[in-house]
Amino acid sequence: MSQFLVKEGVKNQIRKGEKLVTTHCCYCGMQCGMHIRVDEKNNKVVGVEPRYDWVLTRGKMCPKGVTAYQTIDHPDRIKRPLIKKNGKFVESSWDEALDLIEKKYKELQGTYGKDSIGVYGGVSMTNEKCYLVGKYARVGLGTRYVDYNGRYCMSSAAGGFNKTLGMDRGSTLPWTELEHTDTFFMAGTNTAECHPTSIQWFWKAKDKGAKLIVADPRETATARVADVHLDLLPGTDSALANGIMHLLIKHDYVDHEYVQERCNNFEELKEMTAKFTPEYTSKITGVAVEKIIKAAHIFGKSPRSVVMFARGAEQQTKGVDNVSLYTSMALLRGQIGKFASGVATFTGQGNGQGGREHGQKADALPGYRKLANPKDVEYVAGVWGIKPEEMPKEGVSAYEMFHLMQSKQIRALHVICSNPVVSSPNINYVKDSLEKLDFLVVNDFFLSETAELADVVLPATTWAEDEGTTTNIEGRVIRIRKVVDPIGESKPDWEIIKLITDRMGKANFFPYNEPREIFDELRIASKGGKADYFGVTYEKIDEQDGVFWPAPAEDHNGTPHVFKERFATEDGKANLAVCDWREPGEVPDTQYPLWLTTGRVVFHYLSGNQTRRVGFLMEQCPEPFVEMHPELASQYQIENGERVKISTPRGEMVAPVKITKAIRKDTLFVPYHWGKELSINQLTSPALDPISRMPEFKVCAVKLEKLTK
Amino acid sequence: MNKIMYLEFERCIGCRACQAACRECGDHDAKERNYVEYVDFTESRQTFPMLCMQCKDPACARVCPANAIQITDEGVVLSAMEEKCIGCRNCTFGCPFGIPKFDFETNKMYKCDMCYDRTRHDIAPMCASVCPSDAIRFIDFDEMQQLRRKRTQMNLVEGKKPQEGNKWDYVPEFFGVYTDS
Repeated sequence: MSQFLVKEGVKNQIRKGEKLVTTHCCYCGMQCGMHIRVDEKNNKVVGVEPRYDWVLTRGKMCPKGVTAYQTIDHPDRIKRPLIKKNGKFVESSWDEALDLIEKKYKELQGTYGKDSIGVYGGVSMTNEKCYLVGKYARVGLGTRYVDYNGRYCMSSAAGGFNKTLGMDRGSTLPWTELEHTDTFFMAGTNTAECHPTSIQWFWKAKDKGAKLIVADPRETATARVADVHLDLLPGTDSALANGIMHLLIKHDYVDHEYVQERCNNFEELKEMTAKFTPEYTSKITGVAVEKIIKAAHIFGKSPRSVVMFARGAEQQTKGVDNVSLYTSMALLRGQIGKFASGVATFTGQGNGQGGREHGQKADALPGYRKLANPKDVEYVAGVWGIKPEEMPKEGVSAYEMFHLMQSKQIRALHVICSNPVVSSPNINYVKDSLEKLDFLVVNDFFLSETAELADVVLPATTWAEDEGTTTNIEGRVIRIRKVVDPIGESKPDWEIIKLITDRMGKANFFPYNEPREIFDELRIASKGGKADYFGVTYEKIDEQDGVFWPAPAEDHNGTPHVFKERFATEDGKANLAVCDWREPGEVPDTQYPLWLTTGRVVFHYLSGNQTRRVGFLMEQCPEPFVEMHPELASQYQIENGERVKISTPRGEMVAPVKITKAIRKDTLFVPYHWGKELSINQLTSPALDPISRMPEFKVCAVKLEKLTK
Repeated sequence: MNKIMYLEFERCIGCRACQAACRECGDHDAKERNYVEYVDFTESRQTFPMLCMQCKDPACARVCPANAIQITDEGVVLSAMEEKCIGCRNCTFGCPFGIPKFDFETNKMYKCDMCYDRTRHDIAPMCASVCPSDAIRFIDFDEMQQLRRKRTQMNLVEGKKPQEGNKWDYVPEFFGVYTDS
């Protein structure tokens, strides 16, 4: 016998003996609304039910979302702390594990100083936990070395937005407006596979006649339905954007009034883009001249357009340039701050937006305050109850922390909610760096490839066993609800941090009993900063279906659409980007003649630590593959499904070939969700963007070899 | 139930959320009863969802010697009844769309039943509920008619029509499955 949950005219099925807990998915930045089905008698999660009343996704879920609940009670869950003894993990009590951590931390800091311990966070956690990671490092351990896996994910977008608009909110508009947009310009994003539930908004607009322009080396599921597919060479986005802007200026598609009133650098930009004629742009990007011209005309004529990009454009040594240039395209058309128009980046990780605002970046404090700014330091030190001079200085970016492990400046590392041995570039070096550590602690709920290297693994909880807030792809702060109690002896990361800081004699700085208390402190710590969460409360989130930051006062309902009147720069004007095209960190030569680019498949999430354990998802895509064009395959006499070896100076791997016309003839594509010998990140380049310190995952030169039988 | 399943192939992004969701339906025993196929992976990424057509005169039911395949008043073609199914697999051979599958462990046929425990209460089937791209929809008959007209108009506006020699460029974009209500 079924019962029903009726809310705002939509019905959900509730089966007998079950309750539905309303929450959001744990994976990408879409943070789809969902109900988790719980068997009331046993208090166990038994399934999932769509949530039709959630404004952004209306019951939609991708295969990862549908199966997300299967990780909660998964047999691989780590249920007790693990300590490595004689090379093997042995289960221990919490006390034993914490004793060991306390002893090692104190020993190392006593001998080598406070900075000998590093903290490596992640952004698949709630805002509360992300905030606490920064405070844990700086107050709990007193170390300057803290950074997070968002460095590989969002830092170029953040750098580009800050440079151009003065503030990094991933989307300048609420996505519920997207159905009224006339043109979408998407660069380096396969949103159909990476954020599947976003696609409904684009196609809703397409049904009304909207146009879609996609810049991607592959004809992805997103590019397949585009009106213009700009199949550019990996690493040439900045040339493409300059080329489009050249045509916008040439054909006078520029909103002169807007540019005059609200933007700086127009003349400089005009001068810079002068040389980016369609022919010159085509020479660099490999995109046909007529396609560039067609795209520029469509984009230039649209009354409402949104420019969007993701890791394809951002994970480059010029990721910040690319973001700034694409953003400038929207500025030239006067689109930012208007209805159904603007600019947005697709957030890869669940809390990629909120997680980068609250101070786990090497150079940042909560609310996007800066360690380099004495006033910011003074304010946050005041909230935390320490003296400003006690605040550690800036550290280094995620990948650069591994250099410091090699040189023994960092001797212990605490990895929280991250799997850098799969997600970093050049992972053979990363693994070697972690092995050089004196002591490695990892919080995780599955034994990830990184956790396997640890001295102590602390059992953390899945998203469903704790509560808190995350900030979705639009900048909307939403609530994650606790569905069941933690499995076994696992504990939420915030509780683990609290236990360790207690041991380090800092208990009075971490007096929390529940996530809400942490959030209230975060609200104060962010007050007056760029990412101002002061007006966001749990109650308001429930009332309003989420609250968009900034919300600077308690009676403020949030800001869905930013930059309506002024930008967040000092003079209130946006800075148009004036950036020339630069070559990628590595280009093909005779030894490594092809381009390699990496990305996702729809069935897996990040390093695959969770999704590789879910039966349905593994059935669909059990191993990585090398995607190549039929002409390239025939040149190397390779057949579909044949295993080939690919290599760069950093490593090599063997994988089966998938032959498809949906990729450039000179480029190989491999998804990155697997570890060890199946990891493409053995090959990827660690060259960094000079500003964001984002590695160049998306471009390197590679050699392809047919395996002899 | 006064709604129909409406498929718009061009929208399919091949994510197989419909398959994952099908496993979640009440009596589906964690087995999916729908499929997603590539038209031809080597040519394009075009995929399409494959659901039971809920035929008005279903071949699977006609060839069933035990009369185990029931059709509800709303026209939904159900899986074989456990007590009647003799495991002959005629239905799997009879269906032109390859929809009924055979479970060798329990020795009976299973197929898409349009999430009958949901749809009879006007709640969308799991596949249509979750489909991120609205390639599968559970909508009113009138809405379906409107969508078909609109799609045809849009194709005319965009100049889309199938031509000889580019069969892979053109894929049927919609397929309405409906029943007498």
